[in-house]
Amino acid sequence: MRNSFINAIMEASTRRDDIFVISGDAGLGVFDTFKAEHPDRFLNLGVAEQNMASFAAGLAMTGYKVVLYNIIPFLLYRCYEQVRNDICYQNLPIILAGIGSGLTYSPQGMTHYSVEDLGIARTLPNLSVLSPIDPVEARLAAGFALSSDTPVYVRLAKRGEPEIHTRSDFDISIPQVLSEGSGTALLFHGSIGEEVLRAALLLKEQGIVPRVISVPLVQPLNFAVLGELLGGISNLVTVEEHYHSCGLGSTLREFCTQGGRSFSLTTLGIAPRYIHEVHDNRGMRKLFGIDAEQIAAAVQLASECGSADGRRP
Amino acid sequence: MLRWPSWEQRDIFILSKGHAAMALYSTLAVRGILDRETIAGYYQDNGTLPAHLDRCPEKGIEVSAGSLGHGFNMGLGTAFGFKKQGSPRRVYALIGDGESQEGSIWEGALFAPALGLDNFCAIMDHNNLQGYGRPTELCSFEPVAEKWTAFGWHAVTVDGHDPDALREALQEDSHGKPKMIVAKTTKGKGVSFMEDQLIWHYYLVTDEHRRLALEELA
Repeated sequence: MRNSFINAIMEASTRRDDIFVISGDAGLGVFDTFKAEHPDRFLNLGVAEQNMASFAAGLAMTGYKVVLYNIIPFLLYRCYEQVRNDICYQNLPIILAGIGSGLTYSPQGMTHYSVEDLGIARTLPNLSVLSPIDPVEARLAAGFALSSDTPVYVRLAKRGEPEIHTRSDFDISIPQVLSEGSGTALLFHGSIGEEVLRAALLLKEQGIVPRVISVPLVQPLNFAVLGELLGGISNLVTVEEHYHSCGLGSTLREFCTQGGRSFSLTTLGIAPRYIHEVHDNRGMRKLFGIDAEQIAAAVQLASECGSADGRRP
Repeated sequence: MLRWPSWEQRDIFILSKGHAAMALYSTLAVRGILDRETIAGYYQDNGTLPAHLDRCPEKGIEVSAGSLGHGFNMGLGTAFGFKKQGSPRRVYALIGDGESQEGSIWEGALFAPALGLDNFCAIMDHNNLQGYGRPTELCSFEPVAEKWTAFGWHAVTVDGHDPDALREALQEDSHGKPKMIVAKTTKGKGVSFMEDQLIWHYYLVTDEHRRLALEELA
């Protein structure tokens, strides 16, 4: 995902001379080609995140399309007020490219996880948020962000995620139906894609076929389009590598209260607490009930009885 | 002739100590950039100008500011952009001495010389009064100018109430370095009941205060 996103930025940089990349001392090797081709359009502003975010705002005011690259906690949390006041309040067209979404870096420890970034981003008006599920969406996210004249946060995991989409000519700003199904819709974003696909296979063996929908543009989420995509659906199950209390699940809880239609809703995600357990990424997903088996079990329960929220592990 | 606000090649002034917005508004009004009606709406219900800055370059308000330690760093980014574009435009940022306790100021102080930002000039309003005390008593950052010099800046100290000294410092060659002008000032200068009084960070000016102050300043 990360490499697709960066490659799209680099390709655009050969056509546009206004793209400027700032790293906060992250991305070893990621920008080698970009630095070689555009040495005058790259800066490593070191371990100084507040300065980095404000500096980017000032640079954007002179007409540069600034890409700010860092591990998510150091892109959004450490310098939240700079992102709020200098980038979002002033509505500057900066691309906040964050890596290490969710539990990507487990078991690096809680300081390096980003399980609440969508909750934080939801407090920032003007900010669009994209959480691609695969390299195809990551590439389209780069295109969306490059053409935007307002701030965009792109939530990336790492490199090496499998391609999920079979086409690449869709509109990244609206939810995408990946596979048809009825009764229950399985909605997700970000790096949890491979678990969702495996869950769909497990469910198929049991004759359960949910409608699988990716939600790349998490903010602002187009409720009207989403409603159209949910024809014939009565149960919603959201899955995300994020706190279930302040991400897609909670956004859909708002959706369910606004549409005039009745859905049962199950929100799978990480329990909102600090994580002291030491596991790799798969182990963490298992711990928090977002591995393929538990996703499948939740969809099965939702399909049979409505919401499975009360039975979350 | 007033070429601004539409003049795209103007230098940029950033009021990083955004709580002094009223001074910027007044200056812009005297220069004819803000009109009387806009000024009249300062701090009013259904008004025009908030107590802290809300960016509006067309009115001379180049950045939003109010929270400390932001404008200075935005100014560095802007100065860097001008450098990259080969523009002769310069950036001036006014910071407070209390504001200089913000870590972000020192993050920027570290990086600006490395980036060769000799088109950037910071002015520190060194009045030795902050929200709830004196900077030198809370955690003395003296000697101020020497600290900035040690960070690689061209730092000079002047009497902030002496326009000629300020003008000279602004014009002084910084030898390829960013410049810091430490302007020694007295808060409420020239008004006996305000001078160096912490409480005037908060007091509202009544008509009577205004009359007395103008008499003293006349």
